[in-house]
Amino acid sequence: MKLELRDIRHVYAPSTPFEVEALRGVSLVVEPGEVLAIIGGTGSGKSTLVQHMNLLLVPTGGEVLVDGVDARSLKQSELRRRVGLVFQFPESALFAPTVEEDVAFAPRQLALSEAEVRERVLESLRALGAGELAARSPFALSGGEKRRAAIAGVLAMRPEVLVLDEPTAGLDPATRENLLALILGLREAGVSVVLVSHDLDEVAEVADKVCALHEGRVRTAGTPAEVFYGDPAQAPATVQVASLLRGSRPEIDNPVRFGETLDALRALQGI
Amino acid sequence: MENLGEGTRPCGSFAVSCERVSFSYPGSGRPALSEVSLDLRPGEYVGVVGPNGGGKSTLVRLLNGLLRADSGRVRVSDHDPATEPFEVRKHLGLLFQNPENGLVAPFIEDDVAFGLENLGVPREEMRDRVARAIRAVGLEGYERREPYTLSGGEKQRVALAGLLAVEPEILVLDEPTSMLDAAGRREVLEYLQVLRSEKTVLHVTHHLEELLDSDRILVLNGGELVADETPERFFSNADLLRENRLVLPVVPRLALELGFPPAKLRTAEELAEAILARTQSGTRAG
Repeated sequence: MKLELRDIRHVYAPSTPFEVEALRGVSLVVEPGEVLAIIGGTGSGKSTLVQHMNLLLVPTGGEVLVDGVDARSLKQSELRRRVGLVFQFPESALFAPTVEEDVAFAPRQLALSEAEVRERVLESLRALGAGELAARSPFALSGGEKRRAAIAGVLAMRPEVLVLDEPTAGLDPATRENLLALILGLREAGVSVVLVSHDLDEVAEVADKVCALHEGRVRTAGTPAEVFYGDPAQAPATVQVASLLRGSRPEIDNPVRFGETLDALRALQGI
Repeated sequence: MENLGEGTRPCGSFAVSCERVSFSYPGSGRPALSEVSLDLRPGEYVGVVGPNGGGKSTLVRLLNGLLRADSGRVRVSDHDPATEPFEVRKHLGLLFQNPENGLVAPFIEDDVAFGLENLGVPREEMRDRVARAIRAVGLEGYERREPYTLSGGEKQRVALAGLLAVEPEILVLDEPTSMLDAAGRREVLEYLQVLRSEKTVLHVTHHLEELLDSDRILVLNGGELVADETPERFFSNADLLRENRLVLPVVPRLALELGFPPAKLRTAEELAEAILARTQSGTRAG
């Protein structure tokens, strides 16, 4: 699916002393099967923005289009099935006695057979490397296991767009790498992924496009190379290293991912 | 087999000492810690790393008496945490991962005083110690602030001040920055660096770069102590890192792959400089 946000504005608590304009006209497109990363400092509007993608928040101005059709004309349940949203620290919403029951909660609302629900649950847990957790209580899991169980609950809806808000915050590096591999696997399967992240090094590894927000507006958007080489001071470490070398060694070009950067550095004469 | 019984090592010279310590959680098939021996000399800054489930948190809980070893011997400043947990907690302060869980009082200064109140410290001395602790973490002026108004990094500094007020000589840090954003991490690490000159520190973390300046790094995996290395050797040992699912940050990882000493090159600037120096002198140096 192609998901398009056009000139989205959002005002919290309008006409009160607490009025805050969190988004001041943001436009972006999520193409089918691409990974779009949304970056920006605390308070830049990232979380507010992604909550518009399934109309969990209704924009004060602007519109959300799903394959060119106004999202407000779709049934809410259909929109939320097709655009799956995983909040920050989603593990705080785990509630069922077993992981399997928890993951089954949403797909069970889809009028599927019990066998089909079960198949989806196990498929989602396996995709997250969490198949062995199915029978356990979500409350007896480690932080990383809980996070994976919570994401599996959204994945079991088989969304066409998966929105992940800071999915790797607080995870250990190995669990984080597994999650990044899952994102690339979903893209392979044609699912679009919107990744909100503070961690530019992880954005560098998985993003096809980057949208940088600042104070509720799009500051820059484009390919990772366009965005990061345009502002190397706020770029992943790979781009920082390469841009420091580009002055005297222009042949290094503009690598972003770790592997590309390592290859470019190894290709330097005399290294 | 070496005799590790009572008296073979003068444990009085160690701040923390574990001898062949094993522990299994009830109902679990395999030990969480298996025959782990380690010593911390007074004033050392020792890192602990390893995959989830490797035994890091179990070790921390044995040290402050939250858990009791099935076998082996644990000593913290010559006290046994299993039988004298309250004595041990005067000597060893434990900083947890999530600062939210530790803050209990309506105002910052009450929170910092909380640990002391349970030790029967006279009022006047308590006031001094709380003020000193608040200064040590750079939160002067925050005394009457309410905890919920603070950032994550500030909350973790309040929790640290609460430990410092008790004046333990040993600090155990259990992933103290993993719930914080980049700015919060930097500020907490900055205050921890200042403290290292006067404390013995055991620092559990997933962020390997936090241990670049440590004296030693211990690797726990599958409940066993699999390595005890200097940072120079640890960061250069690609096999050790891989086998224990440890991931270096980008700059040291690039440095390691290119054959530079990763523990010496921390920033993009330092790595770029080293690369330029080598590529420019490479042909001459042969």
